[in-house]
Amino acid sequence: MTYARRAWIILWKDLLIERRAKEHANALLFFCLLLLFLFQFALGPDRERLAAAVPGLLWLGFILAGLLGLGRSFLGERDNDCWEGLRLTPGDKSAIYLGKLAGNCVLMTAVEIILVVLFGVFYDVDLWTPAAPLALVLALGTIGLAAVGTLFAAMTTQVRARELLFPVLLLPVQVPVLLATVSATQALLLGQPLADVAHWLKLLAGADLVYVTIGILTFEFVLEG
Amino acid sequence: MPSNWGYVLAAYGIAAVTLLSYWRHLARRSRALATRRPAKRRAA
Amino acid sequence: MIRALGWLAVLGLMAGLAAGFGYAPREAVQGNVQRIMYLHVPAVLTAYLAFVLVLAGSIGYLATRRSGWDRLAAAAGEIGVLFTGLTIVSGSIWGKPTWGTWWTWDARLTSTAVLFCVYVGYLLLRSLIEDPEARARYAAVVGILGAVNIPIVHFSVKWWRALHQPSTILGPERSPIDPAIGLALFVNWVAFTLLFAYFLSRRMEIARLEEQT
Repeated sequence: MTYARRAWIILWKDLLIERRAKEHANALLFFCLLLLFLFQFALGPDRERLAAAVPGLLWLGFILAGLLGLGRSFLGERDNDCWEGLRLTPGDKSAIYLGKLAGNCVLMTAVEIILVVLFGVFYDVDLWTPAAPLALVLALGTIGLAAVGTLFAAMTTQVRARELLFPVLLLPVQVPVLLATVSATQALLLGQPLADVAHWLKLLAGADLVYVTIGILTFEFVLEG
Repeated sequence: MPSNWGYVLAAYGIAAVTLLSYWRHLARRSRALATRRPAKRRAA
Repeated sequence: MIRALGWLAVLGLMAGLAAGFGYAPREAVQGNVQRIMYLHVPAVLTAYLAFVLVLAGSIGYLATRRSGWDRLAAAAGEIGVLFTGLTIVSGSIWGKPTWGTWWTWDARLTSTAVLFCVYVGYLLLRSLIEDPEARARYAAVVGILGAVNIPIVHFSVKWWRALHQPSTILGPERSPIDPAIGLALFVNWVAFTLLFAYFLSRRMEIARLEEQT
C-alpha cells in the first residue's frame, strides 16, 4: 500500500465518520453563529468600529473554532481504543499525519467559509470583491494552523489537562500566522492589491513549509507509546 | 532629566532577588537529593 | 568544578556591576535609566543561548534516545524561561520612564513575550507528563518547533510593527555605541553567560540524581 494511499484512507475515514455522525459540523456551525453575537456585543453597536475590526475578528473566530475542532483530531482514536491501531500501521507514520492534516484542513475550510459568509451578511462587509486573494490568505493560514494543530493534538490527546494544554501550546506558536493573516486580510479588505501583501504571503508560505516538514519528521515520535 | 535611580534599583533589585531565589531553590533540591540517596543506598 | 564555575560567575557579576555603574558613562539622552540595559540585553542573549540548547537537547534526544540530552533540554528550558522573564521585566521597567508606559508592543518586547509564552508552555507540558520517556519525546517535539519558530516570530512581529509605527527600539542600535558602554555590555554579557553555565550545570546534576532515585 503506497504512502499516498495510506494518507488518503485516513482522510476518507475521518470524512466518512463526520458525514455519518455530523457531530463536529453541526456544533461548529452553531459555534460560528454564536461568535457572531459575541463579537457584536463585545464591540457595541458602532458599525464602523466593528467594520474596522473585521480582519482581526475573522481570524479570532477562526482560531477559536480551530482550538475546539483541532484539539479533538485524535479523540476518536483515543476513545475507541484505536490508538494501538495507529501505532501498528506499517510503513512511514507520517502518512497518518498528512491524512489527519488534510482532514483538518477540510474542516477548517468549512468553518472559514461559514464565518466569511456570516460576516458578510451580518456585519455588512464586502468580502466578495477581494474573494480570490482573500481565499489565498485563508488557505495559507489554514495550513499553518492545521499543521501545528494536528501535531499538538496528537501529543495532547494522551496528556492530562488536554483541553488546557492544547491552546497553551498552540497559540504562542501561531502568533506569526495570526499577525500575517490579519495584516494581509486588513490590507485586502481596504482594497489593496495582492502585490502589496506579497511579503506576508511569503512569510506564511515559508512558515507553512516549516510547520508541515516538522510535523512529517516528528509525528512518528509522537505516536510511539 | 530626572535621575530615575528608583527604576534602576527596582530592575536590578528584582533581578537579584530572582536569581538568588533560583540559586537557593537549586541548592535546596541538591541537598534534598543528597540526603535522600544515602538512605536509599543503605536500604537497598 | 561546578563550585568554581559558581565563584567565577559571582566575580563576573561583580565586575559587571562595576562596569555598568562605575566605568560606563551616564547616557546623554536617557540618563541613568539606560544602565538597565546592562541587565536587559545580557539577559535576552542568555535566554537565546538557553533556547538554542533546548533545540540541541531535543534533537539530541530524538536522535540518540540518551536521557542526558533530555536533561540538557529540561534544564536549559527552565533557566531560559527565567532569563526571558527577567528580560521582559527589566525591559518594562526601562520603558516606563523612557516611553511613559509600562508596556509597549514594540518589536523586541513583543517577540520576547511570545518567546516566554512558548517556553512556559514547554515547561507546562513537561510538568504534566509523568512517564519520563514520553515526557522527553513530547518535550523534544515542542522544543524543536519552538526554536525553529523563533526567526519566524521575529520577522512577523517586526513587519507588524512597521505597519503601525516606525520602529522604536530600546537599545544601542540607535547610534554608534560609545566604546565604554560597549565594554560594560560585554563584561555583563560574559558574567551572565557564566551564571547561566553554573545554573545549567547544577540543574542538570539535580536532574541526573533525580533519575537515579
